[in-house]
Amino acid sequence: MLNEQPYWNPVIETLSREKLRSLQLKKFKAIFKWAYENSRFHRSLYDEAGIKPEDIRSLADVRHVPKVEKSMMQRIQRKDPFPYGDALCVPLEDVTEYRQTSGTTGQPVYQPDTWQDWEWWSECWAYILWAQGYRPSDRVFLPFGYNIFVAFWAAHYAAEKLGCEVIPGGVLDTQARILKIQELKATALMATPTYILGMAATANNKMGIEPASLGITKITCAGEPGASIPSTKKRMEAAWNAKVYDHAGATEIGAWSYECTAQPLGTHVNEAFFLVEIEDIDTGDIIEEPGRRGKMIITALDRIAQPCVRFDSKDVIEWDSGSCDCGRTFRIIKGGVVGRADDITKVKGVLLAPSAIEEVVRSIEGLGDEFEVIVDKLGDVDRIKLKVELAPGFEDKAKEIEPRLKDQLRLKTNLGYRIEIYDYGSLPRYDVKAKRFKDLRDKH
Amino acid sequence: MSTNLDVNAVDKKIQSIRQIASELKEIGRECPALDRNLVRLSASIKMLELNFSDVASLDA
Repeated sequence: MLNEQPYWNPVIETLSREKLRSLQLKKFKAIFKWAYENSRFHRSLYDEAGIKPEDIRSLADVRHVPKVEKSMMQRIQRKDPFPYGDALCVPLEDVTEYRQTSGTTGQPVYQPDTWQDWEWWSECWAYILWAQGYRPSDRVFLPFGYNIFVAFWAAHYAAEKLGCEVIPGGVLDTQARILKIQELKATALMATPTYILGMAATANNKMGIEPASLGITKITCAGEPGASIPSTKKRMEAAWNAKVYDHAGATEIGAWSYECTAQPLGTHVNEAFFLVEIEDIDTGDIIEEPGRRGKMIITALDRIAQPCVRFDSKDVIEWDSGSCDCGRTFRIIKGGVVGRADDITKVKGVLLAPSAIEEVVRSIEGLGDEFEVIVDKLGDVDRIKLKVELAPGFEDKAKEIEPRLKDQLRLKTNLGYRIEIYDYGSLPRYDVKAKRFKDLRDKH
Repeated sequence: MSTNLDVNAVDKKIQSIRQIASELKEIGRECPALDRNLVRLSASIKMLELNFSDVASLDA
């Protein structure tokens, strides 16, 4: 009976839109007041903007609240109360969890959480896992580093909360992880799309094990857009004979969005726990209507140790126009997180999202999973080069594949590319998050 | 499948647990095994409140 219930919380996940908006307003007022009263950083930011908790009377008022950027957090940290600085809203002795961002965009941001925050993290993940069909009978294998990065830590705790059996595949190498999945008959797996595809390649090419034979029925991805890129999702599902689901989260935010088993070509926003706004990158206007991309400004409505209030995430998203067959009333982000505002760049005057190139490369039979994009300048002219690999068994097909690849790239991205085709295994491999896009223009 | 849960009734029970946990916390200030486990219990109660009491409060 319980296992047939499609929702983790049917009360919240099917709440009317009107009530959801009322709930968001009520909770925004509370977290804004909490931050104002307990964080010197937030209070000073809001005082400078001339806004106080009592000024928030409607969701329209929310957009007057100043945004917080990662660079601000980087500046205030490494000071007392050490190491978190003035954004800490609780006594240091109430902090039980430490995580940090990867630091790929500068100094890492330290993230303190109380035990209540940590329960909240795993509660967010419980919504995700239940929606993706995880049930107490599942044996879940988690092949990640179990270290200072949040990665799938909260997923581990959430899977336990659901009643799943969790296998921590921490310090094992890829081959040992595959053998452990096989030995223990794991039924579910969570990792980045890059690692899911890499595991499949290792099983196939180095171990002679067909990943589809391992009995994994569902895979939850995070960290990269791949699980919402149809061609990448298709490759993962084919390799593992499993359903692949996307999820979006971040260290400073929480696990805020998830795909359900209806696979609506997008991810639901958990609107009971998060307030998501989409801001036009050029004008700064808030985008309410579907179909227009912008960057996400997000508030975690219940996180207390280091609040996340109108955080400028730089994730590029757009609202979907439709509802979902699953019956959830949470809005859908079309195609999940499309990319980062920092990564979406103009090449020859055309807006380019690296995820669009991934969609093309992975849709072409005969190409391997790896690729690399390099943008540079010759004089005043932008150039874009795409390096790809031939998949095993397609070694003599380069001449047939190249024109198809060029045509599809032109169609999907409106740009012409210099193509370089390599033998399988020539391009760099990545263990977790891939860095396949290189923009060298600033160095010229 | 949805639910026929009476959110207000669920909230009342949650508030009863919250009340008992608060009373225990007062008693347990000098006993780590009581105090520290109640921190955990309190976080779990908070998750119940986020899931149900917050919705019930919309009708209040």
